[in-house]
Amino acid sequence: MSNQVNFTFNGKSISCQKGQSIAAALIASDNRELRATRFGNEPRSIFCGIGVCYDCVVVVNGVANQRSCLIEATDEMNVESTS
Amino acid sequence: MIIVIGAGPAGLAAAEAASRNGSEVALIDSASRLGGQYWRHRESVQGYRSERAGVLFEKVLRAPSITYISEASVWSIERESELFRVNYLQGGNESSLTAEKLIIATGAYDRSLPFPGWDHPGSMTPGAAQALVKGQGVLPGKKVIVAGTGPFLLPVATGLAEAGAEIVGLYDANSPLRWSLSPRALFLNLSKFAELIYYARLLRKYGITPRFNRAVSSFENRKATISRINSDFSLKETGSESHEVDVVAVGWGFLPDVTLGGIVGCQQRVDSDGTTIFSVDADQRSSQKNVWIAGEATGIGGADLSLLEGEIAGLSASGQSIPAPLRSSRYRKQLFANALKKTYPIRDRWQSWPQGATTICRCEEVKLSEISESVSELGAEDSRTAKLFTRAGMGLCQGRICSRNVSEIVAGLTHCVVSNEERIASSNRPIATPISLGQLGDGKK
Repeated sequence: MSNQVNFTFNGKSISCQKGQSIAAALIASDNRELRATRFGNEPRSIFCGIGVCYDCVVVVNGVANQRSCLIEATDEMNVESTS
Repeated sequence: MIIVIGAGPAGLAAAEAASRNGSEVALIDSASRLGGQYWRHRESVQGYRSERAGVLFEKVLRAPSITYISEASVWSIERESELFRVNYLQGGNESSLTAEKLIIATGAYDRSLPFPGWDHPGSMTPGAAQALVKGQGVLPGKKVIVAGTGPFLLPVATGLAEAGAEIVGLYDANSPLRWSLSPRALFLNLSKFAELIYYARLLRKYGITPRFNRAVSSFENRKATISRINSDFSLKETGSESHEVDVVAVGWGFLPDVTLGGIVGCQQRVDSDGTTIFSVDADQRSSQKNVWIAGEATGIGGADLSLLEGEIAGLSASGQSIPAPLRSSRYRKQLFANALKKTYPIRDRWQSWPQGATTICRCEEVKLSEISESVSELGAEDSRTAKLFTRAGMGLCQGRICSRNVSEIVAGLTHCVVSNEERIASSNRPIATPISLGQLGDGKK
């Protein structure tokens, strides 16, 4: 069984270790800006890291507002900054 | 049956203690592994006295009367006559569990204070940096500044260094000389000196020199400015320095998560440092019958105190007697927790750090100037009105990050103090975790 997971972030392919969160995988691959804010279009990244602050929310397989610090990356997952 | 919510030190100790006489226990936790935030790990727990974690995990996993439910986020609790129905989300599905008794051990999260750039990528809480390193095996950045106040900065800075980060600076807004205010607490907790020596060795090993009475006053384009601060936390005009870094990990102690106990109606009070916590009796019983609360939600005190409170709650809830030495150990750790609050206070002039354009509410992108205008132009006289005018605290996090800060900013602008009623009201949320109507509709109920 492969220990590697492949998913896409805004169309780019990302590889990470099995068990890592989406946010961890993106930070490890130097994608610090996880999304831009609704009003100011300001870049945001991981902040509290434990699911409290909702700053790291992304769109996972079409479902909005998913906390990337909590959700494990899985194969063929489609992660986007905005829908 | 007893439902224990939270599998950090307090919840684990509670579940283990309750299982000693064979009581049926369900241990519910949102993470995929035991240990909570404090004992976060991938393969095994690392850090000071981490062997305690392994022993407790083993006991909990082996106890035949404990059912461990992982990756389950409790979002509400209902009362059905003498029973509690605990509703949780697991893998996108809604389920529930009922029991006669509840032990709530939901822990705490980092408190954050706003400063220019605290919302930029690379600015995070020490807890986030710790979670990335310990839980994910990922460095948040190569060059890191760790700052804020309190002893939690030590494991974070040394943990990051151990994982390969360069610690560009470790800054505490308070000075350790303040420990001299609490000689009795130190004398009754001599074991804490061993912990201090443990971290002092690690700091020396990684060449980290902590510096005091300093705070991160801005973070723009990877440039962190460190300012010297006065005892009221106002910034000194001289002696600031700048460093090019990837990450500033800044934390100001912890805020307990009081949502679930609040939903059940457990009585809350305001601690000496302004934090909303639960009132409990000598057996960790809350004001509500058959609800016990243990750990940070009854007062921030760290893992040692949480373990003792959890054990007492577990013994009490399962009808076992509580040995006197447990109570006296808890008393000593409570003295130490009070000394921590005294040594690492957060002073009001942090309110002078954010500029008009600085974000205060991260979710709704409310800037300080908007909050000031709600007071000066729109006549808001309390934080509730200011929040209604600006939407501060009304985003996805339900005010967990900014609500206390907004209350304190508005009190500062209106020359008032934040009332205890307001502190309690702004600490509670109607639901514990957002749930979609679809998920509700698909549930078993």
